[in-house]
Amino acid sequence: MSSQEIKPIDTEEIKEMLNRQKGKMKRYLSFCAHCSLCAESCFLYRTHNKDPQYMPSYKVIQSLGKLYKKRGKVDRRFLIEIKGIVWRNCVLCGRCYCPIGIHVPSMIAFARSICRSQDVYPQIDEVSSESWL
Amino acid sequence: MYDLIGGQLVSTAFVVFVSGLLYQGSRFFKLTKKKEWILPPLAGAEKRVKKTVVQYIVAGLTSLQGTLWKTDPLMMIVTSVFHVCLILAPIFLLGHNMLLDQSWGLSLWSLPESFTNGLTIVVLICAAFFMMRRLFLARVRAITSFHDYFVLLIAVAPFLTGFLAYHQWFDYRIVMILHILAGELMLITIPFTKLGHMLFFFLYRFFIGSEYSFTRGNRTW
Repeated sequence: MSSQEIKPIDTEEIKEMLNRQKGKMKRYLSFCAHCSLCAESCFLYRTHNKDPQYMPSYKVIQSLGKLYKKRGKVDRRFLIEIKGIVWRNCVLCGRCYCPIGIHVPSMIAFARSICRSQDVYPQIDEVSSESWL
Repeated sequence: MYDLIGGQLVSTAFVVFVSGLLYQGSRFFKLTKKKEWILPPLAGAEKRVKKTVVQYIVAGLTSLQGTLWKTDPLMMIVTSVFHVCLILAPIFLLGHNMLLDQSWGLSLWSLPESFTNGLTIVVLICAAFFMMRRLFLARVRAITSFHDYFVLLIAVAPFLTGFLAYHQWFDYRIVMILHILAGELMLITIPFTKLGHMLFFFLYRFFIGSEYSFTRGNRTW
């Protein structure tokens, strides 16, 4: 069993991290118009038959959006779900374009930091149905 | 009741709207700081060469390649028209300017009523288009929640009720009350909901330093 499964989730630490970036992240999340115009700017969305789960806004809403909604009170299973979204479904290439000006990469990077703070991140020897990149 | 809704509540809505926008704006400037950004010179910063009209048109059309105007032209046309009409119709509506004149003794220039009626119809058609996108386009549906429909309703309700009131369909008095309430609700919710992109669009695109900044934005979070 890897250490990733042993360490208990420190929800207080997650909450503190979320609060530290609240001013920026909550505003980005609140003022996203859910227009989906960011979709075409993501090469993963385009190369996965326009599957909505690769859309930048979808990835942000399902990861950081949910973390804020749950106010950091999450379990390991939830963070592992997020891990798939923020590492496998996004490579942080920074090409996503939002007409309102929301900076998606910084939100995904922040969600990654939260996962990493709880020792949730892709392992080098991890077996996955899909490549991480 | 009409006096309350059309009098004190209107003033309250405007106060909440203006102070809410000022609050959000001041919070934005407090949360962001000025920072030096090393960016390549803007396209217009190079020495200007005289171009012919055709060259201007070709350059303009070429610059649209790779933008949303190329990837989703229909949505771009609809959303641009929607936002222009949404702002023009209520500000330059004869009825609104007459009310302004009655209460403050000043008013803006008014557009012909038939024209503002046309603008209202365009807003309603565009809103129907957005609704259809939310309902039938998989990628939009994937990120749509009840809140999105509610916000769309808040944005459209003043136009729908205004249209009904202008044509005097249904009970005029009730429709007018609903129209005023819908307008007040929209004003109050703008600074605190997704409708706040009215302000944040300009703050993000003009002040935050980014590759996609319209100007040399030099602020950072």
